[in-house]
Parts: sequence; C-alpha cells; structure tokens
Amino acid sequence: MAVIIIAIDALEYNLVEEFDCKNLKQEVYGKTDISEFSQPRTMVLWSSFLTGKNKEKEILSLGDKEMWHYRVNVNETFVSKFKNPKVIDLPGFSYDLEQHDKERILLKKFFEEEDKEKIKEEYNKLALEHHKKIKKEFEKALKENHDLIIAYFSVVDVIGHLNFGNKTLMKILYKEMDEIARKARELGKTVLVISDHGMKAIGKFGDHSDYGFWSLNRKIDLGKPKLTEFKDIILKKLKEDN
Amino acid sequence: MDHLDALENESIFIIREAYRKFHKIGMLWSVGKDSTTLLWLVRKAFFGRVPFPVIYIDTGLHFKEMYEFRDWCVKKWNLNLIISKNYEEAEKLGIGPKDKLKCCTIRKTEALKKTIEEHKFDALLLGIRRDEHGVRAKERVFSPRNKDFYWDYKNQPPELWDQFKTQKESEQHIRVHPLLHWTELDIWKYIKREKLPVNPLYFAKNGKRYRSLGCMPCTKPIDSNAKTVDEIIEEIKTSKIAERSGRAQDKEEAHAMQKLRALGYM
Amino acid sequence: MERLKIVIVGHVDHGKSTLIGRLFYDTDSLPESKIKEIKEVCEALGKEIEFGYVLDYLEEERKQGVTIDTTQSFFKTQKREYAIIDAPGHVEFLKNMITGASQAEAAILIVDAKEGIKEQTRRHAYILSMLGLKQVIVVINKMDLVDYSKERFQEVKKELLEFLKTISIEPKYIIPISAKNGDFIAKKSENLSWYDGPTVLEALDSFEKIKELDEKPFRLPVQDVYNFDKRVIVGRIASGVISKGDEIKIYPSGEVTKIKSVEKYGREIDKASAGESIGLTTEDKVFVDRGDIISKKDEKQPIVTKEINAHIFWMDKEPYKEGERLLFKCATQEVMCEMKIKRVIDSATLETLDKKIIENRNVADVVIKTEKPVVVESFNEIPPLGRFVLQRQDTCAGGIITGDGCDNNSN
Repeated sequence: MAVIIIAIDALEYNLVEEFDCKNLKQEVYGKTDISEFSQPRTMVLWSSFLTGKNKEKEILSLGDKEMWHYRVNVNETFVSKFKNPKVIDLPGFSYDLEQHDKERILLKKFFEEEDKEKIKEEYNKLALEHHKKIKKEFEKALKENHDLIIAYFSVVDVIGHLNFGNKTLMKILYKEMDEIARKARELGKTVLVISDHGMKAIGKFGDHSDYGFWSLNRKIDLGKPKLTEFKDIILKKLKEDN
Repeated sequence: MDHLDALENESIFIIREAYRKFHKIGMLWSVGKDSTTLLWLVRKAFFGRVPFPVIYIDTGLHFKEMYEFRDWCVKKWNLNLIISKNYEEAEKLGIGPKDKLKCCTIRKTEALKKTIEEHKFDALLLGIRRDEHGVRAKERVFSPRNKDFYWDYKNQPPELWDQFKTQKESEQHIRVHPLLHWTELDIWKYIKREKLPVNPLYFAKNGKRYRSLGCMPCTKPIDSNAKTVDEIIEEIKTSKIAERSGRAQDKEEAHAMQKLRALGYM
Repeated sequence: MERLKIVIVGHVDHGKSTLIGRLFYDTDSLPESKIKEIKEVCEALGKEIEFGYVLDYLEEERKQGVTIDTTQSFFKTQKREYAIIDAPGHVEFLKNMITGASQAEAAILIVDAKEGIKEQTRRHAYILSMLGLKQVIVVINKMDLVDYSKERFQEVKKELLEFLKTISIEPKYIIPISAKNGDFIAKKSENLSWYDGPTVLEALDSFEKIKELDEKPFRLPVQDVYNFDKRVIVGRIASGVISKGDEIKIYPSGEVTKIKSVEKYGREIDKASAGESIGLTTEDKVFVDRGDIISKKDEKQPIVTKEINAHIFWMDKEPYKEGERLLFKCATQEVMCEMKIKRVIDSATLETLDKKIIENRNVADVVIKTEKPVVVESFNEIPPLGRFVLQRQDTCAGGIITGDGCDNNSN
C-alpha cells in the first residue's frame, strides 16, 4: 500500500555489486540513465527525479552558490499525489540547508587549508552525525502511517568525496546502507532504492560517475530508465497497483 | 654493525656502482634533508669529494633559506652546481601555483628534462625513500626511465642481491636510489650521528616547522615545537601524520578539486 | 635497535596478508593514522572495529599496487624490530617476489592446512632455497578450517618435510596457526593445546642476524680504483676481516702485496669486516681493477675456473637454448658465458622436464662456461661469491654455485 523510497546520494552500482549488498540490490536492480544532463549535479538530478522534468537549465541559471538552495514547486512533483507523504532531507524539497552548507564549506576548506587531517576528521564526523539523525527519523517514519516515505541519505556521497579510495571505509558505509534497506524491506511495502549518480575514484578522492542506481523489491524490470522517467513509474506502476 | 652502519655501507656501495657504471652521472639535490644526506654519503664514498655535478631544480618559488643553505653548502663542499630552471617560461605563460599540475610540470619536470638533454646525463642519483609515498614501495634501486620520464613499474627487471640494472637502453636514463631502504627516522638519526648541517626551516619557529621542503605556495608547515634534531627524532617516533601531508602538491588532490568545482561544490 | 628483514611467501590465498595483518595487529604496530578513519567511522556508526576491517584495509592497499608501504611494515617485539619485505604471491609478480626475497634474512613459508602444498608453495620454497635463506619458519595456516586437527597438521607437515628435503631446506620450526583467529601468532591458544612449540613471534625472535660471514676467509670484490690524491682500491667486503699490514693476493693476476691502510672517509681504521664499504691502499703498486677479487694470503684461497656447476632460476619470457651467449655477473665480475643444460625442472611441480631449452620459471642444473676465468665460491661457503645473475639486456636468471664444486679448478 505504501511506497518507500530510499534516496542514496552517489550510490555506485559497481560497489553495490562488489560488496554484494543484497538488500540494496533487492529483487531487480540496474543503472539509471542520466546522459541527458551535462554534469551529474546533485541538485539538478534530485529535482528532475521529483518532477520528471529536466531541471538542469533552470537550476544552473541560479549559479553555483544559489543552486544549493533551490526548491521545486511541490505541485510539480509526484509527492503531491500522495495523501500523507514524509520526505526526509531531500535536495530540492526538504533539504537541511544549514547542514549541507556546512559540509560544503568544510570540503572547500580541506582543499584550501593546511591542516587537512583535522578538517577531514571534522568533515567525516559532521556527515556521520547527520546520518545518524536521518536514520533515526527514517526508522520513526517507518512506524508511522505514511503512504509515501522518501528518505535521503547523503553520507556515501559526502564521505566518498574525500575517501572514495579507501574501500574499507566505503564498504563499512555500504554495509550500513544495506542494513537500512533491510529494515525497510522487512515491512513488506514497495521499496525503491535510487541514487542520483554513482561515484568513481580519483586516487583517494571521489568524483560523480555518469549513471545512477535503482532497485525494486518487485519483479518489474525497468531496464536502464532515465531518472526523469521515475515520476511516471512511481505514479503509474508503484502507486496504483498498491 | 648497527642498522645505520648497515644502511650507510649499502648506500656507499650503490653510489660507487653508479659512478663506475655510467658515463655521465649527476645527482638531484633539493637541499632537503634526504638529498643532503645523500650528498654526505657521496662525499664519504669518494673520500671527501663530489666527483659529479649536483643539480638543483630552481622553480623560482623556493624559500630564501633554501637558496642560502644551497650556496653555503656549495662553498663549503666545493660542489659543481648545475641550476636547472624553466620558471621564466612558466612566468611568460602565466602558469603559477593556482594550477598545481601545470605549474609542477613546467617548473620541475620540464626543467629537468632540459637539463638532462643539455648535459646528456645517463644516470641520476636521487634521495627518494621507499617509505615516503605508497607507489615508491615498488621502486628498484636502479630504475630505468624513458625520455618522457615514464616508469613502467609493472614490467621492471628483477633486482637480485647487489646486482643492478647497469645497462641502459638508448633514450633511457637510469634513476639510482641509494637511500631507498632508509626511513624518515633513519635519516634524522643519521643526521644526528654525523652532525650534518640542517636547513633551519626544519626547526620549529612559533610552533610551526617544515617536515619537507618545496615551493613556498605549496609547502605548509606542521604544528611542532621541535627545535633540535633530538626533538625532531622524538616527534617522528610518536607522530601519526604522514610526512608529505605538508605538501599540497598532490596531483590527485588538484584533479579532485577541479572536478568538484565543475559540480558546483567550490 | 636491531632490525631483521623477513619475507613471507606462499601460494596465493594461503593467508599471507592475513598473517601480515595479524602480526601488525597483535604487536600493536599499525600506525594509528592508517586505521584512524576506519575506527572513527565504526565508532560513529556504533560498530566494533574488527580485525577483519584492518585486514580489508591492508588488502586494499595491496590491490591498489601500493602493498603495505615500508613505514607500515615494521613491527616490533621485545627483542627487535622486523621489516616485512613485500613479496607478491601471484605468479605474474615472480620477478618482484624474487627481488624482495633476495633482500631478506629470514623467511616464513605459509601453507593452507586444507589445501596443502600447491604450485606457488613449491616455487617459492625453491626460490628460498636458491636465495640461500637458512632461517625458515613454516606455518600451517587456517587450522580453524580443519577443526584444529592434529592429524591434519601431521599429514601436511610430513608431506612438506619430504618435499623440503628434496630442495635442501630444513625449516627451523613448523607451526600450526590460524592467522584469522590469532592462534599461535603472538599468543598460544587452547585451540591448539596439543602443540607445544613456539608461537610465530617466539620463533622469529629466536633467529639471529647473520654474522657468520665475518668468520669466513676474506674476499673483497674490487668495485673501483680511485686516483683522487692517492690510489685507493674500493669495494664492499664480501666475507672475512681485513687489517692494516695483512698480506693479500689479487685475483686473477696472482700479485701479492701488503695492506698499507684500511680507510673510510675521514679516518683510517684498524680493521674492517664483511658488509663494510671500504678503501684500501697497498704497500706496492699493483695492477688492479674492477672485477678483481682480493683474498688474504694466509687463508683459504678462492676457486678460479672457467666452468661452474650451478642451479639457475630462469625468469625471462624468451627461453634459453644452448649456444646463446649471456653476461655472467658475480659480485663485481662480468664476463660472457654459455651454458650447457644438464637438467630442466618445472618449478611448480619440481618434475624433471625432458627438454633442452630453459623456459620462463624453469629451474635448471647447468654448467656455465665463461670466456675468461672467474673467481667464485660454492654458495654454501661464501654466498656473495657463490651467487650470480645472467643477463641479456636485463637480468634473465639468477643462480647459485652448487656445493659439489667446480670443474677445472685451476688454482
């Protein structure tokens, strides 16, 4: 009856495979097509996912600074078609501006200032603390009576940018995400795991890769869907046959 | 024989092999602690002389203490100094530390290429150590490079016992690494034992000191109160931070930053 | 503090990196910075940091071609510091494995209790034997997978000892371990209560730095002769001890003279011994150059020969056929040679192959015929003069001069 969307920033198809995260893979899984976008930018991708429209031009016109504060018009999104939705921390929707601004400031500081180890430690810590908060909110929402839950987890992306080369660290985080997916799946509702883009290594750092990840706990093979097709998929295939 | 003696004897053997086996040899000297230790070992190998040129790559961006220390050593040890430089070209093209990758390439790599070409060096002694950087763990003592400095580390000849690669193919030059088996701590212990001169930048001033030396814009000091060689040794024994963390010139880092900028993060 | 260089060899997946990880972990030698991030993330997520994560991390570095950089590969016991030399297990990296192992003073050969002897076990063991490593520990790993069975241990041990005997390796210890669970690495364990030998660390600590070269006859392979302000013969002493006033003989010329001084930069020294890089001046002006070997007149003299019996390990893709000329390099001597092939052996199976060419990774018994006389020793006597490499453009083989001596001893 209800739809749960686990939105994971930068969840990388190849790592889900490599670490064999069974709960993230679910029954069917694959890559998403984001080739219509010039760059895999977080805000652009999530806003386009929500609305089913390519929002690149609109968001880019805001400039690098303002784009992070962009909000979509709720009526344009599939969320508006649900009665009692819960959207946790999603970019372009209910994003925690202060938290994510802080992360980007530290990221910038890491590259510009000298005490890198210390900055990285602070950065990782900030991301993990936020993750714990989101996880708690998500677990609470699972017990409430929502017909739609979207929870956005940014930890894999945030930590990945400075640590993607540290596979052990990434493995620990992927296992954590797998555990979260397991909890959602246990409830027997419709579960969609989706990422905006994946990640590839630049030495020890991480860069966005140009495809995303999707998986479903229903045997509906989507092939390699465009990110902008999910609005329809959710409304027509997932919501209605509930 | 304690292990510093063992390292010294081995390094001298390697230096003498290189000197005998190659026609035109030089050594890279950055005036830092490693290559100055190497210089000292060269003097020991040749009973007080340095019988080949010492190459200093001047990027035009070094600390004044480095130039001072260089000139002091040149005089004291009667060195045949070659200054390898290409920074005029960099400045003409307006390439500076803002673009780290390009800046390093043009000021260092291109400068050295020119010097090798000009002097026809077939072997260079370098003070690199295996513990300095991950990829260096794969280095050999005698390591061939092609003319573009390409290092084919997956396909290196084996190096058994004391038998090194001493035949070079045309277009190649051989990099010789007499300090390969030394650690940072070994270097400082040896500096102490031999009472070697040390660049003042290594000692703490106002709670900061340099752990490795390079160009001013890209070399950052670390927090430290070590004002003597003894204190540095103690510091390294207990330190948990990688030596090169003070150098912001890591290529990956520059590349990653470029990408993040493209994604709107910066 | 003393430092002993060890190499860990064995078949792929028999647990080399687990053992290395365990040695670091159990001796508290993993630099904090290396696992700091992992620790912090585990803590933040409320997870315990496990040995498995540490291991993952080490293996990951290995995969990225970084292996474990040397700073990290030191671990300490009460007695001394150990440096683990990188020796990749995969057959493609054999040249790197040999390069690494040739620097070691002691070795650990690791064997999977379930799988027993495999291809790389044989090959690596043979290389240890060829490199003349005498201080060898065999560990039989993954005892947890065979229920810590004493019978299985005895079985593998017997099989191993039989095999090692054929290549003249006498391991000092054979220890059952589980690197994963930490049994008998740093501490004894109830799981293996039937075993009353030492742990791996205790066994390592019982080894000695190799000193015996000092007690052998003096040999100095001449590296160079300098004429800066006086004539100085330089080289690194292969074996024995030299003092001012000693009478020496120079090979191959046979000239005899006395040592006027033994020198290191800045000081004259009374005497010098094996491993030291020194300079010598002589009483008489003698003809001497690189590649000559100096001995002491009153000691046992070296072998001078043009025919050498040897074991070689071939490591070039291009095979060797009789008739090809190669460069023979032993200490500082270099001379062209040809080889007569007596027997070719597959290093993976140690079976004799019925062929007259030596291919990549083959072992062979050969007679080396040099174009000029060379000064050598049996490997068992004086290793530095009993080992050599053969070269085309690059080194293509390494070898040792076998104990049964050399033909045509023209001394």
